[in-house]
Amino acid sequence: MPLLTANGITRRYGGVVALDNVSVELNAGEVLGLLGANGSGKSTLSSILAGDNRADHGTLSLDGVALPPGEPRAARNAGIAIAHQHPGLAPNLPVWENVFLGAEVCRAGRFLNRSAARRRAAELLTSLRAGWDLDMPAGRLNVADQQLVEIAKALALEPRVLIFDEPTAALAAAEVDSLMRVIRSLAARGTAIVFISHRMAEIEALCDRAMVLCNGRYAGELQVQGRLDEARVLAWMGGAAGGAAAAHLHDAAQQSQKRLRTSAANGSGRVALSARGLRAGARLRGVDFDLRQGEILGVAGLQGHGQEELLDALAGYRKLNAGEIALDGAPLTVRSPRHMIDAGVCLVPNDRHRQGLWLDHSVEFNLAQVAVNFQSEPWRLRRQSIRRFVDLSVSRLRIKTADVRQPVRALSGGNQQKVVIGRWLDRQVRVLLLSDPTKGVDVIARKEIYEAIGALTEAGAAAIVYASDTDELLAVCDRLIVMYEGRVVAQLEGPEMNEARVTSALFGRSAA
Amino acid sequence: MKAGLTERLHAPHEQRSRRVRQGINAIASRNASALPGLVMLLIVVSCNAFLQPDFFSADSLSSNLQNAAPVILVCMAQAVIVLLGELDLSVGAGISLVNCVLAAVPSLTGWGTAATCVAALAVALAAGVCNGVLVGYFRQSALIATFATGAIWFGGALLLMPQPGGAVPEVLGEWFAMRVGVLPLAAVPVIAAWALWAVLQRHRFGRRLIATGSSADAVFKSGVDTRVVKLLGYVLAWLFVFGAALCISAQTSSGDARLGLPYTLNSVAAVVIGGVSLAGGRGSMIGAICGALVLVLIGNVVYFAGIPSNYQEVFKGAVILLALGCTFISARKPV
Repeated sequence: MPLLTANGITRRYGGVVALDNVSVELNAGEVLGLLGANGSGKSTLSSILAGDNRADHGTLSLDGVALPPGEPRAARNAGIAIAHQHPGLAPNLPVWENVFLGAEVCRAGRFLNRSAARRRAAELLTSLRAGWDLDMPAGRLNVADQQLVEIAKALALEPRVLIFDEPTAALAAAEVDSLMRVIRSLAARGTAIVFISHRMAEIEALCDRAMVLCNGRYAGELQVQGRLDEARVLAWMGGAAGGAAAAHLHDAAQQSQKRLRTSAANGSGRVALSARGLRAGARLRGVDFDLRQGEILGVAGLQGHGQEELLDALAGYRKLNAGEIALDGAPLTVRSPRHMIDAGVCLVPNDRHRQGLWLDHSVEFNLAQVAVNFQSEPWRLRRQSIRRFVDLSVSRLRIKTADVRQPVRALSGGNQQKVVIGRWLDRQVRVLLLSDPTKGVDVIARKEIYEAIGALTEAGAAAIVYASDTDELLAVCDRLIVMYEGRVVAQLEGPEMNEARVTSALFGRSAA
Repeated sequence: MKAGLTERLHAPHEQRSRRVRQGINAIASRNASALPGLVMLLIVVSCNAFLQPDFFSADSLSSNLQNAAPVILVCMAQAVIVLLGELDLSVGAGISLVNCVLAAVPSLTGWGTAATCVAALAVALAAGVCNGVLVGYFRQSALIATFATGAIWFGGALLLMPQPGGAVPEVLGEWFAMRVGVLPLAAVPVIAAWALWAVLQRHRFGRRLIATGSSADAVFKSGVDTRVVKLLGYVLAWLFVFGAALCISAQTSSGDARLGLPYTLNSVAAVVIGGVSLAGGRGSMIGAICGALVLVLIGNVVYFAGIPSNYQEVFKGAVILLALGCTFISARKPV
């Protein structure tokens, strides 16, 4: 008999059906991979299983006992825990208290047992990554560490059913490895696990069974056993478009051809941006590189080795302590984001929910922000030209939206990211900085995002892309720089740009 | 063998000293937000001491403490609610209501001191429950909901006591004036409130209160009923409000429906001077208490500096702005 049964779950948001009659059965000790494009209903399903969200129809039961819908407490008491995609932490409380948020380790009379809680929190966190400051307020951690605390929070409950909603989207390779180790040992001890990820390799390595959702419907499922039939999964995920995406991602010949073409075109390319000895804070300690016109430069590195800080500093968002930047050969002092935007250096920030978008405002509002804020006659709102620009961007980037007056929140992650990129189309972008642009975005939308970036670079702009997924960088970039402890340890180009060289550089062993 | 022995002898000591250091660091980081308030307090105290040579004499200290006790209590009440991520604009009117209950009930019903105090406590807690239910269960904006309930409390106080007058049980006034050494008995409710808060900070509820103020959504998703936390937070705060009203009533020994009104915004100002974030979840009770003392002592400074009474309010406002400037500068940390 299955441990967790969800039967005929249906959930609507307004007129949109997020989940349509989906059923799941989960056995003890099993790892179920949940796959699907963005907006296919994975997060909705997992939040319904965890009681955060209420289904319109359908029943949930654990061990044959029905669970009340929409009550996180009941689900937790029954032994279901979830690590959310967007960590739910109390930003002002220290890390160790966040690990036990809502499940405090108490003595008699519900007084906190601080020493026991700290010890246990340290154990749980160290199983994921070494070297934590337990007293650091959770709000000051970076995205990856917040994700790890969110995971530790779910582990702390010692649940019977554990749901991971895209736990690895923000994590670096080493952390993903230790997470997979933890998940395997939990499964071996009989915990049932739901694992959501866009990375096929992780599903392949971890899961016993994979279930695919498409547009809120059950599309199919298969046994994994160490190998995943990617073509079938991609076909289930998005029909014909999915097949095309698979072809795109796996056609290595096409990739290398593209790279040859672009590097040939750019071999003599002028230097668009050059940086010498950039230093900022503790994370950025001397970065040198040149960016040529029309190229896509990838920044690889393990989480927290200064990649995000580099892009923030170039965008004028983080103060530089030292270093020189020259744009098209002319030296430039970074003063503020506005100053850098005027110079044509534009950032697509890392956290699109917090830094990139006004989620409750319309697609139109979000797309027009830059145009409105930088127009030369600020006292007039040019509705006509704004509307034209918005329509043009929507069609150029193929943003899927029923109506540009729809709130951005209603869009899928990939389309939200396209909106963030789209607002720069209004102006002459010389250097586009992208910080993990495909985080939490499905395969098809990934391809479209890189096509949008490609279109910009063909028009003469240059792009710097930081992504946590090295394979992706290898596939789309013309050149790669690898960062380690705040410095560039390798610059790879042409045939040197392969996984082995990158991996050795990631861990500080210079490839040269 | 010998090495092992010394290791064993030294290890616990080192461990202890490390733990002490960690503890000090933790306390310092928890209370870092109170620093500007503390600095402000030191400045105001030194101004006061300069202008009033006998500031540190026993008489002056204890009379200052007597004056400060109700202000500290009402600021602590506001701090609890602000840490919870909400606001309460009805505390001043609540003080008036409790004051009028204390002054009117004995003559209306002939109850004794104890019964009157219990009735007043019940009124205060009922007001807290009312605000807590509105904000927690009905998800009303705290600003509007407590503004409305404040008007109701004020109306209730006016009904009980249309004109200032009545008589608060005399025992209260006598207790209030009593002194044990330098320490006036008026400090007892403040110390009790502080002790209660300190104990709660080691308790699950106290931490959930801060967590809810920090991110109510995260706490709800962690399976905690945030409605209950908010309700209990308001009740706790109104326990402090009752303490404040008791002190004020004992001081004035009569009832006045307008007596408490200025306390509302003073309490908000004190909390902000003390470095408690109005967004909730960040700040410390020590900061709020410093803020309250700053407000009380500013009145002294203005008086002893011989500033014409017409300018007193202007001066007070300027000092509050200065204090806010300090918190603003300290809040700008390097990224």
